Amino acid sequence: MNTISIKIEFGGGLELLFENKRSYRVDIPSVVPTDNTTDAEANLADKETKDVDVDYLIHHMKDHMLKERVELFMEKNTVRPGILVLINDTDWELEGEGEYQLKNGDEVVFISTLHGG
Amino acid sequence: MSSCENPNTDKDVLMTRRQKFDGKTKLCVKCKENTGNIVIRYAVYCKSCFFPLVQGRFRKSLEPTINAPNGSRRKGLKASGSLVVGISGGTSSVAMLDLVAKTYFASLEDNKNEANGKLKGGKEHPRLVDKGVWKGKPTVCYVEVCGAFPGEKDRTEEVRHLVESYSYANFDFVPLRLEDSFDQKWWDTVGGGDLSTAARSLGFDMTDEELRLTTSSSDISPLTAMQTYLSSLPTPTAFHSAVQIFIRLLLLHTAASQRASHLLLGTSLTALSVNLISGIAQGAGFSVAEEAQEVWHPASDDALPIRIVRPMRDIGMKECAVWDWWCNLRVLAHSRPSQSGGKNAISALTKDFIFGLESDYPATVSTIARTCAKLTPKEGSDGICIFCRRPAQSGVQEWKARISIRSYQEASLAVSGNTRPPHLTEEEITNLTKTSLDSGSGPPVPSLTSQLCYACHTLLTSRSSRGTAASLPSGQSLNNVPLPFWIRSSIETRSFHKHAKHDFDADITHGVKLSRSEMKDQIAEFLLPEE
Repeated sequence: MNTISIKIEFGGGLELLFENKRSYRVDIPSVVPTDNTTDAEANLADKETKDVDVDYLIHHMKDHMLKERVELFMEKNTVRPGILVLINDTDWELEGEGEYQLKNGDEVVFISTLHGG
Repeated sequence: MSSCENPNTDKDVLMTRRQKFDGKTKLCVKCKENTGNIVIRYAVYCKSCFFPLVQGRFRKSLEPTINAPNGSRRKGLKASGSLVVGISGGTSSVAMLDLVAKTYFASLEDNKNEANGKLKGGKEHPRLVDKGVWKGKPTVCYVEVCGAFPGEKDRTEEVRHLVESYSYANFDFVPLRLEDSFDQKWWDTVGGGDLSTAARSLGFDMTDEELRLTTSSSDISPLTAMQTYLSSLPTPTAFHSAVQIFIRLLLLHTAASQRASHLLLGTSLTALSVNLISGIAQGAGFSVAEEAQEVWHPASDDALPIRIVRPMRDIGMKECAVWDWWCNLRVLAHSRPSQSGGKNAISALTKDFIFGLESDYPATVSTIARTCAKLTPKEGSDGICIFCRRPAQSGVQEWKARISIRSYQEASLAVSGNTRPPHLTEEEITNLTKTSLDSGSGPPVPSLTSQLCYACHTLLTSRSSRGTAASLPSGQSLNNVPLPFWIRSSIETRSFHKHAKHDFDADITHGVKLSRSEMKDQIAEFLLPEE
């Protein structure tokens, strides 16, 4: 299985949900199931597949990295309102949001705006 | 997707989520050269245009308020007093502190252009034109709230570290604690003035809608006093609002003691919209204008009027968060939402709603702020609320007496005039009235109610069917809840000055039953002569 390496960073207090560590490097498969199931053992042969995108990365983070309180990170299959995503220092809204296809070495930043004024 | 209309005839009513970026061009709308990095309310900006954009909005909100009223902007910016910045360590206040330091206190060396050694910006840069906008040293205040949220860690030292990182701005750091509201030492530091022994031990009875004043034991610690106060509040909504009011008043009194003319708060556009909607939902519609901008007149004569300015009020939370990220600023976050059981407080629910709205329809959030900015109260104000220190609507208690449904225990208050319960006979009503008047034998006990605004009175008296989970500290009772120092002090002053007015107030709030002939006498001049 081919994998790509992605750098993930957290800002604005979101690191509190991820063991208070601000930077991670993760390896994820380059081809993933369309339904974003992240079970590594799952056989891709009987599933529809797609090239890995940010939606899959978010599901991967929820299933394998998130330590507590899913509801503070995800809502309706995407990140919760109030969490900003930057892909290679650019707002993900300019990159197609969750549909952006990840490449090896991409940097994805998640910033929470939910913590106080 | 939510709507009452018929989606089969009108597709728009489904309010399906609109793409925030239309995909037409990724070029920055400002310089039209660089590829954009961020989408702000449907417009694309590149990273180098983003910083002047945010700084421009910050200055546009702040600078018209700096000069004394009627002062001319042309002569440069000159404030009448010093500057106090209130920060929480959250996303937008960290961005605000950075903007304040970079805009008004940056050293000349830091601004030199690396290429040619010349200063960035022209001759009109505020750093040059407005050198020394405020008098004296700027102060940064932080209110530590961990006393109200058990299990939360004290972040004072982290905030101190953040403030000290702006060594060129030479900020004075003043850490406060939420429990200082109940601390005689703090009250002395801010020059609150001496209180008589009686005023020092004032408390009130939370179980009664009249909020009668009592004498509380003054020997409990400020922390216990604050915890008693907060845990005696009837709802989670009241708890969170009270914390907000404490923070605001602590900052205001501290600012007054620093002879400040400006107190800056880091309320972003998003947070302002949340505060406006949640304030209106809690009955604070009368002071909706104060939520955006207000001037506070301290009680002491030698303090200046303080303008509370929210210079981030045109900048959304997204821009603040991206500013922090791109400037490598560390936000001092807390993980409070799930701990305090405050998820169902009106402020927390409003926050969830507005953040969802901002993410799906970015423009609506600024519409809330702009629409609220046009609202003015229809009726005048008859003074300042003793608790939140904002203008209170006149005749609130009379009005509330007419519209409220009360329990039988309080029926005696409502039986005068036309609010009498229709199923009670004349005799029963007379009995009720009599007991109420008898119970207040002697002079009426002074109460807080007549001196509170509608929102604060509701905050203290409106009960939830579920109640709060919080339990009182041991040895404390709901009949005797301590009061913050500014309330104790104003009660003392008011009872001295307004002694004569008191009987009149008591008439209104207690309600006095009139006989038929007395009623007729009162309206005699409007009656037509019987032919």
